[in-house]
Amino acid sequence: MEDLARYVCDQARRRGAAFADVRAVHRRAESVLVQDGRADKLSSATDRGIGVRVLVGRCWGFASADSLERSRADRCLDDALALARASEAFVTDPAAIAHVEPVQAEDRCEPEVPPGSMPVREKIARLLEYERAARAEGGSAVVNSVVTYSDGQRDQVLANTAGTLIRSSGSRAVCSCMIVASDGKILQRGVEHRGIAGGAELLRRTTPEELGVRAAAKALALLKAKPAPAGRFTVLFHPSITGLLVHEALGHNAEADAVWAGESILEGRLGDLLAAPGVSIYDDSTLAGAFGSYAYDSEGTAGRRRPIIENGRLVGFLHSLETAAKFQAAPTGSARAASYDCRPIVRMTNTFMARGTVPFAGMLAGVERGVYLEDGHWGYVFVQKGQFICHAGRARMIERGRLGEPLRNVSISSMTLDTLKHIDAVGDDFEMRMPGMCGKQGQAAPTDCGGPHVRVREVVVGGQDGA
Amino acid sequence: MTSTDYYLNLCADCVKKAVRLGAEWCDVDAGTSRDISVTIEKSGIKAADAGQGEDLAIRCFIRGGMGYAAVSGRDTGDIGEAVARAVALAREATPDPDFKRLPEPEDAPEVEGLFDDAVAGMSVEDVVRIAAANLEAGRAAEPGVILSGSIGLTVGEGALASSTGVAVTARGTSIEGVIEALIRRGEDTGYYYEFDFGRHRADCRLEAVAEAAVAGARRFLGARRISSGRRTVVLGPLASYGFLGALVSAANAESIQRGRGYLCGKLGQAIASPHLTIVDDALVPRGLKSGAHDGEGTRHRPLAVIERGVLASLLHNSYTAGKAGAASTGHGTHGGGISPTNLRPALGARPAADLLREVAEGIYLESGEIRPDPASGDVSASIDFGFYIKDGRVQYPVESAMLGGSVLDWLPRLDAVSSDAREEPGLLMPTLRIQDVQVAGAE
Repeated sequence: MEDLARYVCDQARRRGAAFADVRAVHRRAESVLVQDGRADKLSSATDRGIGVRVLVGRCWGFASADSLERSRADRCLDDALALARASEAFVTDPAAIAHVEPVQAEDRCEPEVPPGSMPVREKIARLLEYERAARAEGGSAVVNSVVTYSDGQRDQVLANTAGTLIRSSGSRAVCSCMIVASDGKILQRGVEHRGIAGGAELLRRTTPEELGVRAAAKALALLKAKPAPAGRFTVLFHPSITGLLVHEALGHNAEADAVWAGESILEGRLGDLLAAPGVSIYDDSTLAGAFGSYAYDSEGTAGRRRPIIENGRLVGFLHSLETAAKFQAAPTGSARAASYDCRPIVRMTNTFMARGTVPFAGMLAGVERGVYLEDGHWGYVFVQKGQFICHAGRARMIERGRLGEPLRNVSISSMTLDTLKHIDAVGDDFEMRMPGMCGKQGQAAPTDCGGPHVRVREVVVGGQDGA
Repeated sequence: MTSTDYYLNLCADCVKKAVRLGAEWCDVDAGTSRDISVTIEKSGIKAADAGQGEDLAIRCFIRGGMGYAAVSGRDTGDIGEAVARAVALAREATPDPDFKRLPEPEDAPEVEGLFDDAVAGMSVEDVVRIAAANLEAGRAAEPGVILSGSIGLTVGEGALASSTGVAVTARGTSIEGVIEALIRRGEDTGYYYEFDFGRHRADCRLEAVAEAAVAGARRFLGARRISSGRRTVVLGPLASYGFLGALVSAANAESIQRGRGYLCGKLGQAIASPHLTIVDDALVPRGLKSGAHDGEGTRHRPLAVIERGVLASLLHNSYTAGKAGAASTGHGTHGGGISPTNLRPALGARPAADLLREVAEGIYLESGEIRPDPASGDVSASIDFGFYIKDGRVQYPVESAMLGGSVLDWLPRLDAVSSDAREEPGLLMPTLRIQDVQVAGAE
């Protein structure tokens, strides 16, 4: 793959590309689905291919092929050059690229248990353990149990016309348990999941109690929960919801491609005080084993810790080589491509709010009537409007400074800049356990997010109960 | 030999190999696709991309246990390994007595218009020209607008063969434009998106997407907060499409058989008001989700999923049909899942404008995700693109507002389906009206 990548870069340079990079990738993945006591579906996938990106004149061209043959790579280069040239006349914002110091590196992340080295039979046995534990916890209320595991290995060579050549290999593994329970009248589900930048050691580290038992306990608790209230409340975010807040509400707005395009609400706000002084938010791809971590991004820039908000002030954006050039900023190693057939775009990695100083009891004490949101599930954002949505798998009422009755799953919606201003307490704890796939422009990227408990005023809770 | 013949032979060869290795049942899906996409950013063309790929997926069953392997490219070594791997995984899977059989070969009517030579023959310059026309029209409509999005096309063909003798081929094209428009006036923001798509170039007005997006963005300027309360909610065509799509997806027979979906125990029962009838029809000519067969080779037939409010049918693949002792409805995917196709709700008696005029106070949801909890049916959704209605008239766009409730409570309160609808290839999207929905506001 190295020779091929070098060859394409040489050809691109000779044929007039101001810059070009090439990613040659080979991926293998395996997954196991255990459901209602049976290993229902066992899957594997493999693919290999090459992606060629060229900067010609003022425009980018990109082409990919599912082959590592030289003839296909040649055709990719032909296509990429032609695509860029065909588009150039309609470019209003000329493409740019930051100065790149060539990097020659070998980045081998060796997991404790490489994907593929653990027999599928052993994976099934472990998933059945999780399921048995869940069913023991849930008893006769459990109507359906689904436990999944998947791992994958990716070997990549990245080269560019500046002389960078990085050989890398990495792996990721995820497992989840979903339990659906019934009381004879309604159904509720509890979900628990784990993910690492690593291999099948995830199954050895994750206990049946923390995956299966927790999922079942959530489902059982929801059967007794009441519908959430509807309206504007003071809310207390569990770290998983704080994670969704920093990822969806702020993180996507801090991606410099959106800022440069004039779409982000953070355009022109660098240096502004956007949140209380106790609020600091970072994106960090260097956290060992975290789901969003890597050594080098898809353009060959080393990953790092990227401050976004420090003590309430907006201090930085996430940059690719292109946005760094346009903002005259340093690249932050934030350009990621989902696979060889995707262009690198600006993405988050592991995004979190730093811990504060307020104990959980102190946060509760200040709430006369509010909602405690737990179990972050999903969220999305419209960066253009600065409006975000987060979904909590469960909640609790807060009445006169104490946790009250359990509530069903519920979403919240608010405006990013209002919400940052309305954070009035940042907890002294911290948790980051939200491994997931973040979607942007059709590409999925592994990310994680978290933080401390956080208290926020004036958040709209989309509950079912108007009382 | 045509290209589809090549894939059919490849599939048949893989099936034979898998059977030789011990697969009791097997099917193989293989094909190729190529795409061109032009990305618009900051009201200009940002990049042009092209891709070409071949994929093969093999599914094997041994005593009902399923092994599945997917591989990209044409490498015979990789394909051979995938076949062996699928068989080996099927051997490791738990035997499943509920698996009965894969579909038998079945003649199916040809669905017209799935492939358009005009789309297949388009060059990148053609796609760039469409993007440029959108940029010009969008900027002319609103100088200063920020446009983003993409124009793209896909051309694909492939085949499916199975150990039961299924041997089918398909070709298809699609072309799509999605444009977002953002207008900033001081502190005020108007933002909306529009799209157009089809299998045929002639079915789309791709050059007009940006202008429509700009018009939408203008309407969303001046958003205000509203108070909480119980209100009438009118779902515009795009919102109703998402809502009904989620509802039909919940009629997935596997969810029901596993006891995990909110429609469990509802087959044959009234779940909605008699105003609601939905037919799933994959045989609509030129439909984006049309085709002669599903992903397992079962022929498609129109299926009334909801008839006058009654849950009339579930969506089956071959596995759930075998388990239920029923016939597959032709909604199987090759990966073992179940998926709806083109949804065609029955239209009502009066136009959307009349339905809106009767609303004393409510919300018009133009577009937005209403994603009910798959187990409970609870809804807690943001009003992403919605307007406040007072005295039968749309007043202003709303911000920071949400809808809450349960889909099972909402459906009986659906009191009207419009007689007019937005039509996209294969799809029919009317306006729906639902009474007495909980709205949460920031005021």
